[in-house]
This record gives sequence, C-alpha cells and structure tokens, in this order.
Amino acid sequence: MTNVEQNILTALSNKLGEKILQIQTPQPRKVFVRVNAGVHRDALRVLLDKDESAGISAITGVDLGEKIELMYHIRTHGTIVTIRTEVSREDARIKSITDLIPGAIFHEREVTDLFGVIFEGYPSPKRLILSENWPKNLFPLRKDAEITNIEDKLEKVTVLDEDKRSSDGGTLVNIIMGPQHPAFIEPEKFSLKVDGEIVKEVKPRIGYVHRGVEKAAEKRTYLQDIYLVERICGICNACHAACFCQTVEAIMGTKAPPRAKYLRTVVLELNRIHSHMLLLGHAGLEIGYESFFQYMWRDREPIMDMMELLTGNRVIASFSTIGGVRRDFKEEKIPKIKVELATLKEKMSFYKHLFDRDPTLKMRTKNVGVLNKREALKLCVVGPVARGSDVKMDVRKDEPYAAYDEIPFKIITYNEGDSWARLMVRLDEISESIDIINFALDNLPSGSYRIRVPRIVPAGEALGRVEAPRGELFYYVKSNGTAYPERVKVRTPTFSNILSFVQIAEGGNIADVPASFVSLDPCFSCTDR
Amino acid sequence: MLKEVLSQIFRKPATQKYPEVKPKVPDGFRGRQIFDIDLCIGCGLCARDCPAKAIEMVDVEGKKKPLFHLDLCIFCYQCAESCPRNAIKTSGFFELASTNKHELVVKPQINLQKRSEA
Repeated sequence: MTNVEQNILTALSNKLGEKILQIQTPQPRKVFVRVNAGVHRDALRVLLDKDESAGISAITGVDLGEKIELMYHIRTHGTIVTIRTEVSREDARIKSITDLIPGAIFHEREVTDLFGVIFEGYPSPKRLILSENWPKNLFPLRKDAEITNIEDKLEKVTVLDEDKRSSDGGTLVNIIMGPQHPAFIEPEKFSLKVDGEIVKEVKPRIGYVHRGVEKAAEKRTYLQDIYLVERICGICNACHAACFCQTVEAIMGTKAPPRAKYLRTVVLELNRIHSHMLLLGHAGLEIGYESFFQYMWRDREPIMDMMELLTGNRVIASFSTIGGVRRDFKEEKIPKIKVELATLKEKMSFYKHLFDRDPTLKMRTKNVGVLNKREALKLCVVGPVARGSDVKMDVRKDEPYAAYDEIPFKIITYNEGDSWARLMVRLDEISESIDIINFALDNLPSGSYRIRVPRIVPAGEALGRVEAPRGELFYYVKSNGTAYPERVKVRTPTFSNILSFVQIAEGGNIADVPASFVSLDPCFSCTDR
Repeated sequence: MLKEVLSQIFRKPATQKYPEVKPKVPDGFRGRQIFDIDLCIGCGLCARDCPAKAIEMVDVEGKKKPLFHLDLCIFCYQCAESCPRNAIKTSGFFELASTNKHELVVKPQINLQKRSEA
C-alpha cells in the first residue's frame, strides 16, 4: 500500500469511523470501501474535501440477487477509491450525488435505465440509454431480465418526450440536431434552444446505437469477450482489448511478460496516432478547411499500413490477449516503421506551424467553445478535453500500465480551454507518441511475448484503466469462478466528456456548434456500447 | 499550406488504383483461412472459441469437422490459434465480396487427390 492510499484511508476513517463496514485493497492504487446506503455521500464529501481535482470515473451496478450493489469509482491522486453500497431490489432507491459532483448525472441516469435504481433528488429522470418505448419494468442488466420477444412488450409511445413549447414565452427557437445530421458521423441528438444566432440551452440525448455489449459479454467466455469489447469502438479498438485483458490478468494475478508490455505499448500508441489524425482531419472538414482534411487523412494512411504490418489488419488489431499479445514483431519490420515515423514527425511540425499561423483555423477555433479549468474539474472530463483546459491528467502517468512506467514522455497541457487548445493537445501528442514508439522499439526486451493462461478465471473482481485516445477508459470485471464473467462494466471516455458539450455550446454561436463539438472527439458507438 | 497544395499537383495520387492494381498484403495478414482436413482431429475447439459463432461442426464420413461461415467470420484467427494440430492456416486472400452468401460457406471436403497419392 502506498502513502496515497494510506492517506485516503486515514481521512475516511477519521471522519466516518464506525460507519465504514469493510476496507479492501486487492490491487495497487485501488481501494474498496464498503458503507451503508446514505453514508456514501459523506464518504464522497471526505474525498472531495481532500482533493479538489477528484472526480467520478464511473458508477457500476451489479445484480447480487436480493440486492443491487452500487459502486462509485472516484479517481483521486492517481488512485481509484471505490465506495460500495447496497440497495434492496424491490425498493431500489438511493440519494443522488449530482449536487456534490455534477459530472455524475449521466452515470446515475445510466444505472437507472439499466438497473432500475432510482436516485432521489435527480435533476432529469428521463431515459438516457434505452429507447422511450422500452418496457417500463424491464431492466436489461438485472440477471432475471428476460429479453426475448421484446417486440410484444414494447410500450406505446406516440409523441416523443420533446418539449415543443418553450418556457420563455416563445422568443427562443428549438433546433433539433440529430439523430441523423450531416455534421455528425454517428447518431446522437442535441436539442438546442436558440435566441437569434446564440445558443441558449443544449439538451443531449444518447443511446441510439446501444447494442447491449455489457450484457452480451456475460454470455460469452473471457476469450470471446476480447473480440467483443474490441468491437465497441473501431477507432480505439486496441485500447479496449488491452484494458479488458489487463483487468482480467489482475483478477487472475498473472502479469504479461515484459516483451508483451512493450509490444502492447507500440500498438496502443499507433492507435492513438491514427485516432488523433482522424479527428484533426475531421475537425478540418467541420471548420470548412477541406485540403487540411485531405492531407491529414493521406498522411494517416502509412500508420494504418503499419498497423496492418504489425497486427494483420488495418483497423481491428486483435493484438492483445489475456496473458500477453498474440503475435511477435519480426525484427526486419522495425527499420521500415522507424523510417515512416520519422517522415510523419516532420509532417507534424508542418501541421503545428499551420495551426499556429493559419488565419482560417485560428478564426474558427480560438476562443470558441471555452471550457475553463474549474468547469472541467466539476464535469469530470477526461483525456485531451481535460488537458486542453489545463487539467494535468493522464492515466499513462497517474497509474502506469503496459510499459509506460519505463518510457519517458511528457503530459501535454494547454491552458486556453478552447477548441484550438483541444486540437493542439492532440497534435502535440502525436509527436510525443512517435517518440514513445521509437523508444519502445529501441528497448524491446527479449523473451516470450505470451504466457498461457487457463480458460477459467478464479472468482474475484478488478478494475482497469487505460488512456485511450479520447481519455480515460475504465473497465470493471467481476468473475464468479467460471469461464464466463459475472459482470463487465465499460465506461468509455466520451461518456464522461459529452456533458461538457452543454457547457461549451451554451452562449456560443450556432455556426460554431459542429466545429466545437468535433473538438471533443466524440465517439457514440463507444458511448452507447 | 498553399505551397503544399501546389506541390501536390505534380505528385501522383495518394490513392491506390484498385482493382486494376492489386495491393500487396504484408505477410501475417488475416485473410481467409485455409483448412486442412487431413490434420483435423475433430476436437471442436475452434467452434467453441469462435467469438462470432461462425464455425459449425458437421459430419464428414462419421467424424465431426468444422464448417466455416465466412459471412459471419470476423477474421480474428482465434480458430487458428486454438487448433491443437495447426489444421487451420492463414492466407492473405481478402477478395471475398459476393452477391450470394451461400458461396461464403466453406464446407469441409475430403481431399481425394491427396488420399489417392498416399
């Protein structure tokens, strides 16, 4: 146990004393504290008082049979403190924590949809993940939910829950962006209230591509789940697989061999480079700078070829597995990769120069969609969105996984908090990633790249975090001692970031909505799972 | 940026001229699998591990052999990895588009030529 964990536990026991029922520290940098329902708010307050940059990572629900367990995963000082509490199944009610942490709104609404837990004092108790016509008392992630013949059970909804009349006597105009909109690549809906050109209110609605991956994962073996979770998101697929694998490895108590850790790092960074380049190109398209979009995507292609060379496929890597990686790098491929990376690095300095100088890019991004540091912390944003608002947070440094503890690199932060800063963070991170890959390839340890693990995972639970291109990716896996997991919880980075869009768009110009939206790098297939 | 745009006029296109020029896939590319029935012992591990449930075990002369539904296959190669006898091998063949999905069902067939040679 490190000092940080000790300090957190001392603070909690000083304030709560007898109210703490149980303390567990099964993994390094992970603390589990069990309290009664109601005390969870006090525990949370202790953590927030101690560290003002503490934020919520996720709320996990687990169906225990007679009770439903709720876990509040709070990140503080690079440690995840999990406050666990139970509510009864029949009368599943608990006090909301949204007044303490505004960033928890979506996490609570998701648990309400999927587990039927009611959070008292809830700002907006509408559907978030499930559709409006989903049966009222069917909560899909409860173990006894029968999701068969669903067409017969659907509720009849004729008018969607859309507020047609505005509350202000009719000066504001409702504009509904989505679920299908040319500026968005994926289906999501934003109801905007507009006064002239100025956006006054934004209401997001997600869930249009909810596929129930978490439920599906319970029906498949751990081995099959690697390929399932990889398909949650096409762009950051390597991160999902690596995160799931390292979480399951933590339950088993095994560690991937050193060579596998380095190989994972290389593929994860390639993943980051191509994701950032895709987003930067897409930002160019939304701004109306099409040549920037074309050149960015042209230069991204060598990275995709590298992925193909190393993993066997352009997009879906299928590279990590439980206990290591699935294939080794051949020595003769390495020089070729280094040459390509050197060319890309040169091009990146050209693009950086462009971002500093070009009037078109500056006009559309500077001082547009500002998210200041205080708001960023309040809304618990992650990844480049947080780093663009001067929040120094990166899972690779906070809680090093793979080989990041041995590789030197910098956390890129900008303090402007506007769209420009968020895009610049990504541009600089590409150069940083190239250095990481070069370092990893130079220092590849020898030895095996994989250890064989049994198909059956011993009973237990573990948390895993990975810095995906869009920010902190969070996994919770619970095993019941069979080849099938009891619960797989996935919290993707965009799920944490999407709430900040309300903050970014409100008060801004309606013409800036697509461009500032894209600077968040939203991924809705991730968000909906 | 203008310099970059102008210099692009004299460069050749960045795109590939597929299908006139076929791209070369690197070795280790995950294309269509090649199944060798003579090595198969019919253990069924490939069908059990397949994440897409694209492998079905069917009777061939009284023994269970895998049938591949390539229309369901996600080309992860878990089957090739799980096979204890290396009966499923890799290939770089990727041109699988078809207007008829029945063409994408690969039935296990006894290799008569090989058998008569032996």
